Amino acid sequence: MPATTYSDEVVACPPRAGTLYDVLELILDRGMVIDVFVRVSLVGIEILKIDARIVVASVDTYLRFAEACNRLDLERDSGSTTIPELLGGGAAKSIGKRKVRKAAESVGDTVRKVVGGGDDDADDVDDDEEEQQERPRKRRAPTRSGSNRRRPVEA
Amino acid sequence: MTADGVYVYAIIRAGRRLPPGARGVGSPERSLRALRRGRIAAVVSDAPSDLRARRRDLLAHQELLLLLSEQGAVLPMRFGMVAGDETAVHGQLATREAEYVGALEHLSGGVEFNIKALPAQDALAALVAEDKKVRRLRDELRRHPGYEASIRLGEAVAAGLRRRAAEAGQRALSELTPQARAVTFGPEVRGCVLNASFLVDRGASEDFRGVAERIARTSRDRMELRLSGPLPCYSFVPAEGAAVRAQGA
Repeated sequence: MPATTYSDEVVACPPRAGTLYDVLELILDRGMVIDVFVRVSLVGIEILKIDARIVVASVDTYLRFAEACNRLDLERDSGSTTIPELLGGGAAKSIGKRKVRKAAESVGDTVRKVVGGGDDDADDVDDDEEEQQERPRKRRAPTRSGSNRRRPVEA
Repeated sequence: MTADGVYVYAIIRAGRRLPPGARGVGSPERSLRALRRGRIAAVVSDAPSDLRARRRDLLAHQELLLLLSEQGAVLPMRFGMVAGDETAVHGQLATREAEYVGALEHLSGGVEFNIKALPAQDALAALVAEDKKVRRLRDELRRHPGYEASIRLGEAVAAGLRRRAAEAGQRALSELTPQARAVTFGPEVRGCVLNASFLVDRGASEDFRGVAERIARTSRDRMELRLSGPLPCYSFVPAEGAAVRAQGA
């Protein structure tokens, strides 16, 4: 069974201390405020708040999901024929299996091209605290020509 | 040496000893002292002149508050509160002593747990199986591969993952709320479908954690549930500014 598109997240409870990311907004936005005191400037802190794994509404994310969705089907195609629900969508009925397979293959090529540098994914989902230090995280979304202009201002 | 002001970490009951070895923000780390006024004391250090929200300083702030809250009730300050000088701190403590004592009592024996729910990103297979719209858009994309079709499919997938996670988050919320003394919702965090904090009896921490871990396990195909705690009660301190602003409005 091929690996899924996204590394399996370990659904675990992070240790209470040391994992700054999960409590960052509490430290910065909660806690007591005394109005007559000064608050240190938080310029630049936005960088810390970015987590590459979260689902953000952006064109890059949508494209990534679309590719993943198709790749998921390809994996089922090649690995198993026992999941009719996944295999036999409306497309199979309307235009026939061969055509579907062909379309899927061409999409598959695109997926391979786009996801080719998939090592990035493995690096970025790593919840390494050092990664969250005061520098912009590298994007994990696949690079596509023309996608730069749509990138949200994050860094 | 208070030219840059006094960094205030927390308010505690007077007479408590500061945790041995605990240090403050800055590089080198500033040493801590307690400024006592009546029944309460402020834990402070000199403020570094170049104080910013650095990782190192955020951690120093957090670690000290964790240490303090392990030993007793604490009113944790938000990161980066700096008073002009010690006189200003004493003045504040004197003015609000009764209120702070009440708040410390209210939080006594309590700790904060925070949960964040994010869409599970490896839930695609489950989503495709469940979501007719996603299946339809996927089929359309297969018939007519293209940019717009990809966007439509991706959008539907993102929305579907969020919806599934949000539903699971609400179930988690209703299961965890009876385990807590109070619940409050945290500031919106990008990508999270739920960000909630619970005020939990310290003695019930393990039970709370156990329930949360079970929920995390059983709904892992819908959401990634992240639990932090026990924490200082950041989310359950009195909000000073609110009343003042409300009056002004």
